[in-house]
Amino acid sequence: MKRLVLKDLSKTYFDPYAGAHVTAVQEVSLEVKQGEFVSVVGPSGCGKTTLLNMIAGFIPASGGEILLDERAVDGPGPERGVVFQSFALFPWKTVLENVAFGPKIRGLSRTEREKIAREYLDLVGLANVAERYPNELSGGMQQRVGVVRALANNPDVLLMDEPFASVDAQTRMTLQEELTRIWQERRPTIIFITHDVGEAVFLANRVVVLSKGRILKEIEVTLPRPRAWDLLTEDAAFKALSGQVLQLVRSA
Amino acid sequence: MPRSSHLWAALKFIAPLALLLLLWELLIRTFGVSPRVFPDVESVARAGFESIQDGSLLRHTGASLWRVAVGTVLAILISIPLGVAMGVSPAVSNFLTPLFRFFSVLAGIAWIPIATLWFGYGFGAITFVIFNAVFFVVTYNTLLGVASIPLPLRHAAASLGASKWTMLTEVLLPGALPNIVTGIRTGLGFAWRGLIAAEMIATNVGLGYMLFLARDFYRTEVIVFGMVVIGILWLLLDRLLLAPLERATIERWGMVRKA
Repeated sequence: MKRLVLKDLSKTYFDPYAGAHVTAVQEVSLEVKQGEFVSVVGPSGCGKTTLLNMIAGFIPASGGEILLDERAVDGPGPERGVVFQSFALFPWKTVLENVAFGPKIRGLSRTEREKIAREYLDLVGLANVAERYPNELSGGMQQRVGVVRALANNPDVLLMDEPFASVDAQTRMTLQEELTRIWQERRPTIIFITHDVGEAVFLANRVVVLSKGRILKEIEVTLPRPRAWDLLTEDAAFKALSGQVLQLVRSA
Repeated sequence: MPRSSHLWAALKFIAPLALLLLLWELLIRTFGVSPRVFPDVESVARAGFESIQDGSLLRHTGASLWRVAVGTVLAILISIPLGVAMGVSPAVSNFLTPLFRFFSVLAGIAWIPIATLWFGYGFGAITFVIFNAVFFVVTYNTLLGVASIPLPLRHAAASLGASKWTMLTEVLLPGALPNIVTGIRTGLGFAWRGLIAAEMIATNVGLGYMLFLARDFYRTEVIVFGMVVIGILWLLLDRLLLAPLERATIERWGMVRKA
């Protein structure tokens, strides 16, 4: 059983404008089981992106440790896939080449890796744009590519950093529904960073509310799946949960 | 582009040149300008024809292009790895940027005196001038190109498992390519100007030398013909090779930098 464990994770850095050390993340301890979908929600500046960057290995922790499957995390690695807010697709690679890039690094032959890439593009209905370049795609389509590029590498954990924050509201709802569908089909372990309370509750099994670098509260979400906005928008349980989380976030 | 609009573009390009030719001939005739001051169109054409027939045009052009090719290729081979190495570290690139910006603008003609001191007259000195013109601009642009690759792209590659080598070949080089091509185009422009100047001083073959030699014999028609050749060669190089290359890399990737 692969688990992600954060133990007293902290991050302080020197802020040249404030002229002082700032604590972005303070002694955060969290355990994510295999196949879990955890949302981390909080206002901007609460340290949620810093937290994700440490788990991804983009920045070193100042204290504490990150263990994936009992092993300490050190730097970025393919067992932790990342989906970025800015999509971060390679503009010089076609959609297919972007998705096939992880498998290519793993040393798979062209036929094998393109087969995998096409399967994943099929999953989000983008098989027909495989030969296009990212800049020819809409924002929503680009982020679908971003999601399956990370999935195609078969990571132990998928780290998503406000991935739907830069697409329009309609597209965002569609993407959220697609993500819950993919999660139900494949059960990847997901840590999803967002400032959107509704999104956090809609997607996750567990919502972690972050405030001033600390975990304020963890809330289990037992809403039935499959989840769809048509069903949940007026759902009493969903509204109650969202209200509870919203209150926590606003009190922060 | 359809064929007719190609034709239209060519026509628009040629029309002002044709007008210039017409004015030139008209002025020479109206004022009876002496050939020692400025030649008429016909004698320039004749000078051109002669230089083609006796092989001197080919010899001079060949020497010039060979120097440009050697200097440019050498410079590119060294400056791209150097630029990448400097660009991956923000600290190093910030530190060295002013230096390379300074040498980028200094490049070219200013190196001729020192080049002749170091290499003597001829191939070495001139190739050195070209090397310098290309080297600093391409290094600077490569550095800039690598440094301006959005960090998430490097993060994305790293978290897909990219090794240092993969990062270099699949992210840093293609990411910096539009800048590199722009650098080569700019650098070659400097190099071409530097070449002609250097050849007037430091050699006995080449297009610049052809111009300078003709001056000693008051052969204004050879001088003007040489100028035309120099201009046309650059236009061909730039329009047929460099500009399309630049467009292809920048436009296809949608990487037009919004200024």
